[in-house]
Amino acid sequence: MTPELTALALAGLLQVVQFVLMSVPANLELGAGKTLSPRDRERLGGTLEDQLSPKTARLYRALNNHFEGLILFTLAVVVVTLSDQSTAFTAACAWVYLAARLAYVPAYYFGLSPWRSLIWMAGFFATALMLVASLI
Amino acid sequence: MFADELSLLLLYGLLTALLLGGKVTGMLLTVDMGYLLSSRDESRSLEGMLGRTDRALNNSITALALIAPPILIIALRDQSSANSILAAQVFLAARVVYIPAYVFGIRGLRTLVWTVGFLATVALYFLAL
Repeated sequence: MTPELTALALAGLLQVVQFVLMSVPANLELGAGKTLSPRDRERLGGTLEDQLSPKTARLYRALNNHFEGLILFTLAVVVVTLSDQSTAFTAACAWVYLAARLAYVPAYYFGLSPWRSLIWMAGFFATALMLVASLI
Repeated sequence: MFADELSLLLLYGLLTALLLGGKVTGMLLTVDMGYLLSSRDESRSLEGMLGRTDRALNNSITALALIAPPILIIALRDQSSANSILAAQVFLAARVVYIPAYVFGIRGLRTLVWTVGFLATVALYFLAL
């Protein structure tokens, strides 16, 4: 297994962890009556996200943001791996991505500004550089 | 090297990353920095061209999630054919046009190229079967 694939598997696990981190407090705050319902806005009086406490809502946004990052990262890893273009550089990019996405969660939760944005950028540019590296 | 499905997928990934970069740049230029760097506890909707860019990005990500499986399956099973390459090229061309069509609000064209891209995706699933 290439280092990029290992980082991808860990990033997938991070997504699972982020989901649990978000869904446990969300269920405690909203109650199963709401989360198990079909979540019709007119009956709940708005979206579920708007009814979360500010910190749990941050975990929710961090989870959604990682979906976006993960699909681009998956693409980069798969292309690098299938075209046998794994190098020390692409491996380093993959680890930077994973480290950035790990740091992103507490940075969002604790509202660390501007660190959350800078950490996001590190992950984004690591992915973009992997994509560019597999083109050249 | 752009005559195979994986390279076309790679280019589409770069296009999506560029669009994401474009959205962030647009936000940096128009939304106040304090809000951007904050935890965004109150939600704000993006308006005008920036809102269209945001919606085009979300649509591009959905399209990426749908097109990646058949392309990867075709590549892993060595099922590449002239038809599958053509479908991937049509998809990429349609999605390249989709972005300005959405950002500049060109009615009709946006829906047309979205449909072309979607049909090319469906075609790839059938070719992968």
